[in-house]
Amino acid sequence: MDYALKKDKVIELRDVNKTYPGIVPLHVLKDITLDIRKGELVSIMGASGSGKSTLLNILGILDNYDSGTYHLDGVLIKDLSENRAAELRNRMIGFVFQSFNLINYKNALENVALPLFYQGIGRKKRNALAMEQLERMGLADRAHHLPSELSGGQKQRVAIARALVTKPSLILADEPTGALDSKTSKEVMQVFRDLNNDTGMTIVIVTHDPTVGAATDRVIRIVDGRIENNV
Amino acid sequence: MKTSFFDIENWREIGATLARNKTRTFLTAFGIFWGTAMLAMLFGGAQGFEGVMRRNFAGFSTNLGAVIANRRSIPYKGFTKGSGWNLTTRDVELIRQLAPAIEYSSEMNSRGATAAYGSKTKSTTVSGVEGDYSKIMIPVINEGRFINNGDVAAERKVAVVGKDVATSLFGNESPIGKYISLNGIYFKVVGIASQLSDVQINSRLDESVILPSSTMRRAFNSGNSIGFFLYTAPPGKSPSDNEATIRRIVSSAHSISPEDKNAIEFMDISETFKMIDNLFLGISLLALFVGFGSLLAGVIGVGNIMWIVVKERTQEFGIRRAIGAKPLDLTIQVLSESIMLTLVAGTLGVCFGALVLGIADKLTYDPLLGHAGFELTFRAAIIIVGLFFILGSLAGTIPAIRAMKIRPIEALNDR
Repeated sequence: MDYALKKDKVIELRDVNKTYPGIVPLHVLKDITLDIRKGELVSIMGASGSGKSTLLNILGILDNYDSGTYHLDGVLIKDLSENRAAELRNRMIGFVFQSFNLINYKNALENVALPLFYQGIGRKKRNALAMEQLERMGLADRAHHLPSELSGGQKQRVAIARALVTKPSLILADEPTGALDSKTSKEVMQVFRDLNNDTGMTIVIVTHDPTVGAATDRVIRIVDGRIENNV
Repeated sequence: MKTSFFDIENWREIGATLARNKTRTFLTAFGIFWGTAMLAMLFGGAQGFEGVMRRNFAGFSTNLGAVIANRRSIPYKGFTKGSGWNLTTRDVELIRQLAPAIEYSSEMNSRGATAAYGSKTKSTTVSGVEGDYSKIMIPVINEGRFINNGDVAAERKVAVVGKDVATSLFGNESPIGKYISLNGIYFKVVGIASQLSDVQINSRLDESVILPSSTMRRAFNSGNSIGFFLYTAPPGKSPSDNEATIRRIVSSAHSISPEDKNAIEFMDISETFKMIDNLFLGISLLALFVGFGSLLAGVIGVGNIMWIVVKERTQEFGIRRAIGAKPLDLTIQVLSESIMLTLVAGTLGVCFGALVLGIADKLTYDPLLGHAGFELTFRAAIIIVGLFFILGSLAGTIPAIRAMKIRPIEALNDR
């Protein structure tokens, strides 16, 4: 394996298959081969049940795959222990979820700082780093507000700040605008666009919303477990 | 390795989590609080109860044996059934020489008499004892001294008056050095005594007059006959160990049939006290059983509540796993919560138990007999809290393992 060639690829999937066992086994991902380069803003689109969420879970080291290979920033992601998977998720991936997934009894600052807590960084430093990200998201004045005191757009920006705080190789967003109105959706997409333009952060967005897809550089369409086009 | 256990955020989070569910936290904490308080109170209470009961025997030797002369129940060597006999000083000498397990002993004669000082009189019991009597029935010496072996050997006409007798005859005046008459015979008062316990031999010491045994026999013309013989067995021995020897000596000296068990009445008080000891042991075991039951209920409560906490926070744990929490981080978090709850509530429970015991000890304090023993030693308190800590941790372990096994993908889908 030529590591030097892979260096500019954040995601490199080769013939990845995933089957959910059962009375009738469900072959969800079929021979997925996919490269995503550093600095790309990519969307993965597909109908419900197409396998896009399974793909996102595999990309996010939240789920295993059965065959093939997956390299994340040059690291082979295969048969990892729970601890190693947690460490890689923490260090290399920032997650943004449709339902924000903020911890409701922690304020915005604490939510953003939480990934750093699991890196063993001291409280002062992690709060300073978290505040930096909140400032970038224009939410410095909301740092001490609980999620319940924030609007949907603000919540999602807090979630993006949390995803960014560990300076990951990749942001994985699962329907990040799914719970937002069209105006706020545009704002959130603009955040991703600015982030991509300003920092060259690699961002992968899973969506079924064509408007979101249109706002990305590349759309990967997945149909019935296979990549239909890789534009 | 740095773990989240030592991070202040972990503890802030625990505080916040517990504070978020105030009622549930309170009820769980109360279960632990009550469990430890009950265990502490029952543990210390059983001790105190035993102390209160044992105060009734304070100063009284619990390994006491007594030999008393009764009428013959079997005709033997010309003596008819129902004929009487008396123990003698010669019997006592032989018993002291031959019996294998005697530590302290004293002959004892008692009779009723009228004590008088000046114009004041009082009906009382007069007892003649030897010096070691004060080691069998330890008296409280209010003034002066007790009868000693020198008094017995020299047949001194001295008396120790009971506290009540002294008050009746002398009022507030000190009787030491003064003479009282007993049925018209004068004795010099050398001491005032009273007794701690409620156990009495013949009559309460407070209401008696004690004379040297030799003086008593001589003054009241009883020759070498004695009423009964008291003795204690040394530690590790039983008064009954002497029974066979004593029966042999006395039967042979007084022509009593060896089969006549009724003629020589033999008392072993230690048997009674063994029963009392067993009763206290039973009470202590029952107290511990009930206490551990309360403790177990509290611990199961902690386990139960932590299980609910883990179930309720499955999605949160999923989020934490997604952003980098390792399984051990979540285990530590759940265990920390259960340990924190257990330690705080358990310590408060033990403190409450100690407070209640302290009040009980104060209420049962007797200036003469001292503390009853309603107390919880620091060691016992630490053991109780430690035990709760271990059991609480164990109770939190099952939910913590469940938290550890939560897969992020499933947890994130948990709505």
